[in-house]
Amino acid sequence: MIVCAALVVPPDSSVYVPQELAYRTVGLDYGNGTAYAGLQMLEGAVPRDALATCAAVLHPGERYAAMMRGEFEATVLQEPWITVAEKAGCRLVSTTFFHGTWVAGPDVTPELYAAFLRGVTRAVRRINADKRRYVSYFKDGWAAGDPEVQALAADDFNLGRIQLREPTPIPEDEARWAWEWMASWGLIHGTFDVTSQINRQVEQEAHELAWEGRVRR
Amino acid sequence: MTAMTMTIEPVSAFSSLDVLVAMDEGLFKAEGLDLRMASRESRDIRSTTEGTLSSPVTNQGRLQERGEATMFQG
Repeated sequence: MIVCAALVVPPDSSVYVPQELAYRTVGLDYGNGTAYAGLQMLEGAVPRDALATCAAVLHPGERYAAMMRGEFEATVLQEPWITVAEKAGCRLVSTTFFHGTWVAGPDVTPELYAAFLRGVTRAVRRINADKRRYVSYFKDGWAAGDPEVQALAADDFNLGRIQLREPTPIPEDEARWAWEWMASWGLIHGTFDVTSQINRQVEQEAHELAWEGRVRR
Repeated sequence: MTAMTMTIEPVSAFSSLDVLVAMDEGLFKAEGLDLRMASRESRDIRSTTEGTLSSPVTNQGRLQERGEATMFQG
């Protein structure tokens, strides 16, 4: 799935464009994809030495609430809290998308992964055929106890922020770029080696097996 | 068809709507896969506020490390 992440400021913020977040504190859930998406949105507009971030909680609803309490001046949210924030008058000063990538252990065989890929592919086709039908999923899980999320109607969701793509092998250039970007922030060390990151044999066999069987709707 | 079994770490709709729908609508089962989702216990959860930008705290992968899940979203 493609994850949508939005850089959000409160309704009374003087920030309208990401450049204006220089030297302003942005709360990020360090160690997670949304935090890295946030850094990428920020560094596209602000020199790294002008970035001011702080550690924020993982739960996006709690992170949103912390921003609204003034604990930091902006944060990065994912759905359904992007929609909640917009309804509350917050502004999205930047939006981006990133891949939700799976990490598999050594027990995953090509047959197992192929079955997983086929199931996911069938789900992607169903959801893309009628996204509105499935937005109720965003009200479950973490969001189940959040009254602002529960108050959302299906029509409140911007379907353009819900993007699904059928799974494909990971392109080496994208994996390399992600590694080098993480290394540039000191998050990982060493030189990128695709063979240590992606088991191409399992990946290739799984994709071949998955598509041999023709995915049904 | 012999059913295969796999356990994954917990996922949310914002990053795995496709997996949740496939589980609920029996799409994995139709492919011979009994996909299960592990639960995190309180001991598995550390707050991201304990980490720093260069030394973050993440809960992803902890169940896999203990052999309680085979895949997780990174």
